[in-house]
Amino acid sequence: MARPKFYDLNVHTAPEGKNTIEEMVPLAKRFGYAGVAVTDPSNSCKPLRSAVTDGFEIISGVELSPENASKLHGLVGKYRQMVDVVVVRGGSESINRAAVENSNVDVLSNFGSMKENGLNHVLAKSASDNDVAISFDLYDIIYLRGGRRVKALSNFRKDLSLVRKYDVPFILTSNARSLYDLRAPRELMALASLFGMTREEALHGLSVVPQRILARNCPPANYVMDGVEIVDPSEGGCDQ
Amino acid sequence: MKVLPPTLRENKRYLAFELIAEGQVSRDELIREIFSASGSLLGDLGSSECNIWLFEFEDLKGVISCDRDHVWQTRAVLATISSIKGKKVILHVLGVSGTVLGATKKYLEGADIFNPKEQSHINE
Repeated sequence: MARPKFYDLNVHTAPEGKNTIEEMVPLAKRFGYAGVAVTDPSNSCKPLRSAVTDGFEIISGVELSPENASKLHGLVGKYRQMVDVVVVRGGSESINRAAVENSNVDVLSNFGSMKENGLNHVLAKSASDNDVAISFDLYDIIYLRGGRRVKALSNFRKDLSLVRKYDVPFILTSNARSLYDLRAPRELMALASLFGMTREEALHGLSVVPQRILARNCPPANYVMDGVEIVDPSEGGCDQ
Repeated sequence: MKVLPPTLRENKRYLAFELIAEGQVSRDELIREIFSASGSLLGDLGSSECNIWLFEFEDLKGVISCDRDHVWQTRAVLATISSIKGKKVILHVLGVSGTVLGATKKYLEGADIFNPKEQSHINE
């Protein structure tokens, strides 16, 4: 089997995070990632452009934290053309709902782990229909201790059962805010196994789903639209 | 004391790791942090099942042994270590092997420890 290509689609850099992308890339490379998406908040700085250096992909992204649901659609429309990965930082019920109903959103993160705002069957179904990935932010499991981590783990377990039932796409991310928040893909898999995620599922969330998101947003050069293909007339693609 | 025959000994796995750290970390400090992380994540019962032990540690690289059937739990414990004595660290597992020699030879010999500071100089 070919080596899977791992991606972390939710990494923050300076000034929002503590380290610049130049500092973080060597470590991500060392950990065996094929690429990271830099998802800084829309108000902190202009999103950078996607680039590939020495086989490592730096993917442009943005993290939107809209004040209310109606602003979300405007923001998504504005950034969709500029970046490859659109992450919405959820929180309130209405923003979560609007995000999973907008198929231009790639990832919904921080959708709340408290009882009132967490993932529910309605959101899960909608996310599945619109192909919006749910992100499991393992940052909490690394840094929280005691009761709050217990709560985070049990919420993730509950979310995972909904993800399985409705076949919701999901990604695993370290949600790194500094160099020392990054974790290697296998360490993230181990953390995800704490709340019952299998190795295959974790692999899916670290490799398959991110690649699908990227393929959708960085189409090949001769792409027109879904189901349409440019046929080279010299090859006699269609007979007259 | 009689040594147990090989078939009755517990089966172990050896995890070769590097410690990516802001400064030097001593063996005792690392041991204390590993046990504290394990106690916090798995509790006394889970820790006893995992049987994590720091086998060797020198120059920010070393080998940790654990029970064969609890490698993933051990990795999760190691991933939750984020700082030692106020210094930020990442414990990066380089590979898992069935013998100490295997772990050392395959993953540690000649391996350069990742140093974030050096890396950022290169980029400048």
